[in-house]
Amino acid sequence: MSAMNDEKSLLRKIHIDAQLLLALVSLMVVGLFIIYSASGQNMDLIVRQAIRLGLAIFVMMAVAQIPPSFLAHRAAVFFTLACLLLVAVLLFGAVGKGAQRWLDIGFMRIQPSELMKLALPIMLAAYISKRPLPPSIKHTGIALFLVVMPTLLIAKQPDLGTSLLIAMSGIFVLFLAGLSWRLIAGFVLLVSALAPLVWYFYMHDYQKRRVLTFLNPESDPLGSGYHIIQSKIAIGSGGFWGKGWLAGTQSQLEFLPERHTDFIFAVFAEEFGWAGVIVLLALYLWVIARGMVIAAQAPDMFTKLLAGSITLTFFVYVFVNMGMVSGILPVVGVPLPLVSYGGTSMVTLLAGFGILMAISTHKRFLRDA
Amino acid sequence: MKKRTQQKTWQTPGWRLYAVSGLILCVFAALLVRTAYIQVVSPDMLREQGDLRVKRTLSNSVLRGMIKDRNGLEVAISVPVNTVWADPKIVQQTNSFSYTREWRALAEILSLDLAQVKEKLSNPKVRFEYLARQVSPAMAEYVRHLKLPGVKLRPESKRYYPAAEVDAHIVGITNIDDQGIDGIEKLYNQELSGTEGKKRILKDANNRVIDVLDEEAPKLAQDIYLSIDQRIQTLAYQELKKAVQYYQADSGSLVAVDVKTGELLALVNNPSYNPNNRKTLTRSAMRNRAITDTFEPGSTVKPLAVLAALEFGAVDEETVINTSPGYMQIGGRRVRDGLNRGKLTIEGILQKSSNVGTTKLALSIPTEHFLGAFYNAGFGIDTGTGLLGESAGVFYDRRRWSDFELATLSYGYGLSVTPLQLARMYATIANGGVRRPLSILRIDNPLPGERVFSEKNANLVLNMLESVVKKGGTGPKAAVEGYRVGGKTGTSRKAIAGGYGSDYVAMFAGVAPISDPRLAIVVVVNNPKGDKYYGGDVAAPVFSSVMGGSLQLLNVPTDKGEAEPDPLQLANIKREQPDA
Repeated sequence: MSAMNDEKSLLRKIHIDAQLLLALVSLMVVGLFIIYSASGQNMDLIVRQAIRLGLAIFVMMAVAQIPPSFLAHRAAVFFTLACLLLVAVLLFGAVGKGAQRWLDIGFMRIQPSELMKLALPIMLAAYISKRPLPPSIKHTGIALFLVVMPTLLIAKQPDLGTSLLIAMSGIFVLFLAGLSWRLIAGFVLLVSALAPLVWYFYMHDYQKRRVLTFLNPESDPLGSGYHIIQSKIAIGSGGFWGKGWLAGTQSQLEFLPERHTDFIFAVFAEEFGWAGVIVLLALYLWVIARGMVIAAQAPDMFTKLLAGSITLTFFVYVFVNMGMVSGILPVVGVPLPLVSYGGTSMVTLLAGFGILMAISTHKRFLRDA
Repeated sequence: MKKRTQQKTWQTPGWRLYAVSGLILCVFAALLVRTAYIQVVSPDMLREQGDLRVKRTLSNSVLRGMIKDRNGLEVAISVPVNTVWADPKIVQQTNSFSYTREWRALAEILSLDLAQVKEKLSNPKVRFEYLARQVSPAMAEYVRHLKLPGVKLRPESKRYYPAAEVDAHIVGITNIDDQGIDGIEKLYNQELSGTEGKKRILKDANNRVIDVLDEEAPKLAQDIYLSIDQRIQTLAYQELKKAVQYYQADSGSLVAVDVKTGELLALVNNPSYNPNNRKTLTRSAMRNRAITDTFEPGSTVKPLAVLAALEFGAVDEETVINTSPGYMQIGGRRVRDGLNRGKLTIEGILQKSSNVGTTKLALSIPTEHFLGAFYNAGFGIDTGTGLLGESAGVFYDRRRWSDFELATLSYGYGLSVTPLQLARMYATIANGGVRRPLSILRIDNPLPGERVFSEKNANLVLNMLESVVKKGGTGPKAAVEGYRVGGKTGTSRKAIAGGYGSDYVAMFAGVAPISDPRLAIVVVVNNPKGDKYYGGDVAAPVFSSVMGGSLQLLNVPTDKGEAEPDPLQLANIKREQPDA
C-alpha cells in the first residue's frame, strides 16, 4: 500500500497522471493492433506509428512539466503566433490533397491548425477566467471574435472539419464559463439561420455532397455513399463477437477505404464485434471521465475551463469519428483519436493530455505552497 | 475580491460540468445502441451485402444433352449458336458509333434498325443489352470480324428437332434460354441440362481471387433415350394423319406399346406442330391428346366383362348366352343391340360386340368382382410414364352401382380413359394378365409387373379377340396378312352437356401376334365426319397398317399358317352387320 503511495507520489513528482496514462496507452496499443490488421500486416507502418506514439508521449510528458500558470501568462503570445502562422499558411502554404494546410519551414513541415487546437482554448480560458463570471456580453463578444478569427482562417484552407472542431473547443470554454442560456439560444438560432447561406455560398461541392450522401448514402453507392455503405457493411458483418483479429474480410480485402486512418473503427468493429466496441467505448469513456474529474478538481477557473475544453474536444473527436463511421454523422475527415494511423494530430492531442496532467498534478504543489 | 467572484461562480461551471458529463454518457450510449443495431439487430442484410462483395459463384456451361430414340436416332439436338450483345458503357466510352460503316454492316446482317440500336445503347449505366440471339456461326464470324468495340459474342446453343412434328408431343420444346418447357425436355430438364460447374470464390475490391471456398464439378448433360422406335413412330404418324385427314376428324391419337416390357414404341397425335418453327405454335396443336384427352372407351372394354365373368367362374369358354330379343329392360331403361343376335358364346359376344351379352355377364357376377376387373386393368390410375399432363381418366369410386350403370359400364360408358390407359389394358391381357407400368424411356430390364388376371383366362380372352378381326367380326379391316391379330372395335358417342350428342369417337384396340403377343396398339379417331364413323371402318385400317409395318420392322416372325378354325366360331357364322 505504501509502496503504491510512493509510486503515486513518484509519478506525481514527474507530473504524470497514472490513470490517464494507462487509459491512453491502452487505446494506443489497441490502435497498433488494428493498424497492423487494417494495413495488411504492414510492419513498417507499425514501427512508424510506434515511433510517432513514443514521440507524442514524450511531448505529453514534457508539456505536463509546464505549470498551468505559465500557460495562462503566455496565452496571448501563443495565440498570436498561431494566428500569424495560419495567415502564413494561406500565403505560402504547401498544397496537398486540394488544401493548403502545411507550412514548410525547411527541416520539417508544420500544420499551424494543430497549434491552434491548443492555443485557442488556452487563450480563451485565460481571457475569460480573468474577467468576472459569468462573462458579460462585451467579454463574450470579444471571446467570440477570438474564436471566429482562427476558425475562418482554417476554414479558408479549406479544412472545414478542423475549423469546426477548433470553434467547438472555444465554445466549450465559453459554455463552461457560464455563457448565458439566452446567448446560447441566440447562437443556435443564428447558426440555423446562417446554415442555408453557408450551404449556398460557402461550402465546396465535395462538402455538400458529403452532407447529401450522409442523408441518404444509398443514393450514390459507388460514389460519395461508398464510404458509408462499405463501412456499415464492415461493422455489420462483424456481428456480436466479430470475425477475429486479422480475419475481417471487408477491411482485409480492401473494400473499405481509409481503413487504417479515418475508418479504422469499422475494421475494429468487424474483427472484434460488438463486444469489442463495448470495450473500446469503455476505454474512451475512461479517458473522458478522468478528464472531467481533473476539470472538476482543478484549483482555479483557468485550469478548470482549459481542462474541460480539452476533454470535451477529445470527446467530440471520438464522437464525430465513430458517428461518421457508423453512419449517424456525415463524413468528415476526422481520425479516431489515439487509434487511427497518423502523425501531427496525435502529437497535438497528447500535448493536450499533457496539459491535463499538468493541471491534475501541479495543483497539489499550488495548494501546498 | 477576485477570489470571491470565483467562489460565487463556482456553481455555474460545476453544474455545467455535470450536465456535460450526462450528455457525454448519452452520446456513448447512442453510439453503443447504433453499433448494436448494425451488428446485432440487423447484421444479416449487411453480412449478406458483405458476402455479395467478396463471394462470387463462377459457372461454366455445358451443352444440353440430346434426346434419342431407342435405337440412338437423334430426335432433339443442340446446335451451337451465338448471342450478339453489347456493353453500352464501353460503346459510349470508346465512341464506338464513330465506326459508322461497321455499325451499318452489323445492323444489316442482324436486320436491326441502327437508330433503335443507338437509342438502346445510349445509357452507359447499363452493362448488357442483347442485339440478337441465336445467331448462326457464320453470322457470328462476320460480327467478330467487324471488331466493333463494346460488341461481344456469347456462345449459346439452340435446340433443333430433326423429327419435327412426328415427335413433337413427346419431346416437347425448350425456351430461348435452353430450358425445357414441355414434354421430355421439361420432364428431364435437369438431366438434359446437367448442372453447371460452380466455384465459390472470395474476391477483393481489385477483383483478385483470394480464396476458393468450394468447388462443384459440373455434372455433364446426359442424353435421354426414349422408348420410342422412330421408324414405328413415323409410320404411325403418317397413317394416323392420313386417316384424320381422310375422315376430316377433329383429331386422332395412336399408341403402340411393347407388350413384354411396357415401353411405348410410338405415341402420336394429329394435329401436331413443328417445334422448329415456334411462330405456328397453338395450344391445341401442342396438346398431347394420347395422354391428356379422355373419352368413354365404348366396346373396347368389353373384353373386361368377359374376363371378369371367366375369372369369377360364372362362365367358361363354352357357355352360351341368349341375347334375344336384342334388348333388355333394366330398371325402366333399355340396353340394346343393333340386331337380335340370338344365342352367343362368350367369344361371340365379343365378336359381335353384343351389349346385351356383356350386360348379362356383368350382372351374373358380384358387383365388386366386376368392378375389380376395371381397377385391375388400370383404369382410374395413371400409366406410370410420368409424362406431364397425363390424365388418369375418370373411374368413379362409388359404393352403389345400379344394375343399369353396371350394364353401361360393361360396354364402356360411365368411365373415361386415355388412349394410353386403353393400350395398357390390352397389353395386360396380351401379357398373360400381368400389368406393367408403361415407360416413355428405353428400359433394359422391364419393370416388375403385377399379376391382375390369371394367365389361363387372359389367354382365353386373347384368343377370343382374334375372332373380331375375322369374317363375321366387327373389325376385319384390322387384319394383318401373315400374323394372327386380335382386337376390339369401339364406337362411342361423345358425351355433351345433358347427354350424348351425335359426334362419335372411333377406336380400335388390338394386339399381335396372338401366338406370342409383341405389340398392343390403340387407335383413336375423334369425331370423324361423313358416313363412316365406326371404329371398324375408321380406326381398324390404321391399326392394320401400323401393326403390319411395325411387326415387320421389329422382325417379328409370322404366325405359321392360319389360325386354327374355332369350332365355336363356326357355329356362329351368320352374315350380319356388326353393330359396333
